[in-house]
Amino acid sequence: MTAFPDALEITGPTPGQQLRRRMFGHQGFMIGAVFLVLLVIIALLAPVLAPHDPYAQSLSNRMVRPVFMGGTWEHPLGTDHLGRDYLSRLIYGARVSLLIGAVAALISGTIGTALGVAAGYFGGRVDAVVTFLINVRLAMPVVLVALAVVAILGGSLSVVIGVLGLLLWDRFAVVMRASTLQIRGREFVAAARAVGCSTPRILLSEIMPNIVNNLIVVVTLEMAHAILLEAALSFLGVGVQPPTPSWGLMVSEGKNMMLFEPWLVLIPGAVLFVLVLAINLMGDGLRDVTAPENRN
Amino acid sequence: MKRRVLTGSVAALALFSAGMAHADKGNDTLRVAFTKELESVDSYFNSAREGVVLQRAIWDGLIYADPHTGEYSGNLATEWTWIDDTTLELKLREGVTFHDGSPFTADDVVYTVDFVANEANGAVTQRNVNWMDHAEKVDDHTVRIITKEPFPAALEYLSGPVSIYPSDYYAEAGPTGMGLKPIGTGPYKVVSVEPGKRFVLERNENYFDGPKGQAQIGNVDIRTIPDVNTQIAELFSGQLDLIWQVPSDQAERLEQMGQFTVANESTMRVGYLAMDAAGRSDPDNPFTKLEVRQAVNHAINREELVGELLKGKSIPIHTACFPSQFGCAQDVKEYEYDPEKARELLAQAGYPDGFATEFYAYRDRELAEAITSYLNAVGIRTDFKMLQYSALRDLNMKGETPLSFQTWGSFSVNDASAMVSQYFKHGELDDARDDEVLAELDIADSSTDPEVRKAHYRTALQRIADQAYWAPMFSYNTNYVSTAEVSYTPTADEVLRFHTMTWN
Repeated sequence: MTAFPDALEITGPTPGQQLRRRMFGHQGFMIGAVFLVLLVIIALLAPVLAPHDPYAQSLSNRMVRPVFMGGTWEHPLGTDHLGRDYLSRLIYGARVSLLIGAVAALISGTIGTALGVAAGYFGGRVDAVVTFLINVRLAMPVVLVALAVVAILGGSLSVVIGVLGLLLWDRFAVVMRASTLQIRGREFVAAARAVGCSTPRILLSEIMPNIVNNLIVVVTLEMAHAILLEAALSFLGVGVQPPTPSWGLMVSEGKNMMLFEPWLVLIPGAVLFVLVLAINLMGDGLRDVTAPENRN
Repeated sequence: MKRRVLTGSVAALALFSAGMAHADKGNDTLRVAFTKELESVDSYFNSAREGVVLQRAIWDGLIYADPHTGEYSGNLATEWTWIDDTTLELKLREGVTFHDGSPFTADDVVYTVDFVANEANGAVTQRNVNWMDHAEKVDDHTVRIITKEPFPAALEYLSGPVSIYPSDYYAEAGPTGMGLKPIGTGPYKVVSVEPGKRFVLERNENYFDGPKGQAQIGNVDIRTIPDVNTQIAELFSGQLDLIWQVPSDQAERLEQMGQFTVANESTMRVGYLAMDAAGRSDPDNPFTKLEVRQAVNHAINREELVGELLKGKSIPIHTACFPSQFGCAQDVKEYEYDPEKARELLAQAGYPDGFATEFYAYRDRELAEAITSYLNAVGIRTDFKMLQYSALRDLNMKGETPLSFQTWGSFSVNDASAMVSQYFKHGELDDARDDEVLAELDIADSSTDPEVRKAHYRTALQRIADQAYWAPMFSYNTNYVSTAEVSYTPTADEVLRFHTMTWN
């Protein structure tokens, strides 16, 4: 054996550079990512950015119109039915939405991935049990179960996060199981097994890195799903409880005056739309970027 | 071809909706919306305002109280005298018939009174009927009502919630049958009932010439539409002629539009915070401490709630009854809005950093939220729970609500007993359980001397205010919005009277 000849030295961009290039070149990903990063910064800096206390009620200043409808810069987006500053409530509402999206996706992602990978890797009885669990879960309508649980336990931020986290794992399990099935027969897995790697090591070092791009796509999808469900539950009055600012709750509170002051519903609705769109664009982009061979 | 079909159907649709839009005055049909579903039309088996509205249209009481002056006159009875402290003898009107054609006699009064006064039959609001022991027939048109104890407010109840049912039909159909096919003597007959959804009434052409007067509008079509926005949209499109209980914000905007008649009237309904002073939910709960209850009273800005949210003819309330009610003394301790003092009182009670509590409400989410904001501002952190009325009532009866936002409309009975005695006589809904108050109310409820009654209600109300068992906040008002074709003057008792409405 001699040393590698110089001619074999690897040239061209590294995989990291390639990834970065693809990311910056992908329009949808960039738009989504910029919006999402912006919203995260807004949520983190809420106390600095919010012009007023989101809980401060001022009944003599109710339903002041936003500045683009003839209001003043004192309340750029107007005030709600109790005279609370709408912009401040929107900013603090971003915290609620992002927190629920992230934590619910984390919980359901952990459950779903564990079940899916186990089913795909071990097959047989484990697979049968997990498939059965997935079917059971899919047979239950999410909103209905969430409504029932929240009605029994009472609505609060932690209950909503818990319920959504425990309900939304099905897609993770399905996707992770299918991806693991594809990977587990590949040569490098057989090789790892042949050299005597332990099962946890095979799962973590051989299987997971190869299915993580699928995982990321599902995480973004489920984040958006959880955020929308929280808004729906809060709209129905069983989600986050007042006076916590939540976008869904704001839509619900504004709906009484919808015929006369439509902006009360339109503003939080539009923000919710933008957040969910951003997350979905980023998820789509991530899939294209990390797995270019699947791009159509 | 395709286009022609399309235009054809659009034209048909336009014609159809135009036809609907003109079906009101032309058809002599008034279309009204109810917000809540009514459990039963039988007026003894619901406690909803909508039930009172139907009761006044379909049935009659023995006595009539003028809604403006409160003066009594004969309705189904023409004369009455107290024979002794517990016996009221009434002469009945002759020639009155029920909607099914059967004549109205003393038997009907005896049967109705005996049935509803019997607690086992389960009339929903016992306060309305449990003062009667039984009734006796003297002859076909003379009857005696025997009360359990001297009950000076009897006439007020006989002209309000107690209406007379046909004995033969009620015995056969029972409350369920009566709820589905009601029969009474009133100015309107029931054409059809779709429980909780739709009620159709038509004018009773054989109505006797009583104090209510003959109905002017031929038909009344009532639909249950829970959402106010939908009601307003149907009013715009000409599918409804009259809506009521319209929130002040929407009523204001509708009035600005100029094409609808908006009338505002006060009601006897009082909004208050009930606190678990007796420690039924938890013997150590903060509301067992006087300072905490006083702090809650100081934390609420009643003037602001009335001026900015309720508006109209609402007023701030400091008593456990509505000021117009007999015996509702107003010289009680008043707690002015003072959040600083509220915080001090909380600190004195041992809660310098405030405390967390469950907060229950069943209606007016906006008001409930505003109230929780006041409480949060002084350090009482509220866990907000919005329930259906029946669910909250169950929790109340079990004594599981430390703090709740409640309202009571007294069934429009203009006597303090309808409110303060309903809640402070150690019943299932009593969270104070104060023996002194009970003793005072017992005297006030059964004394025949008006001055004695007033004095004892005053003592009871003063003690309730001193002990801050409740935080009374405000009275409600109701907005009535109708198209220009309907003429109606609402009364201050939150009852829609179809028989006084006319077309313009």
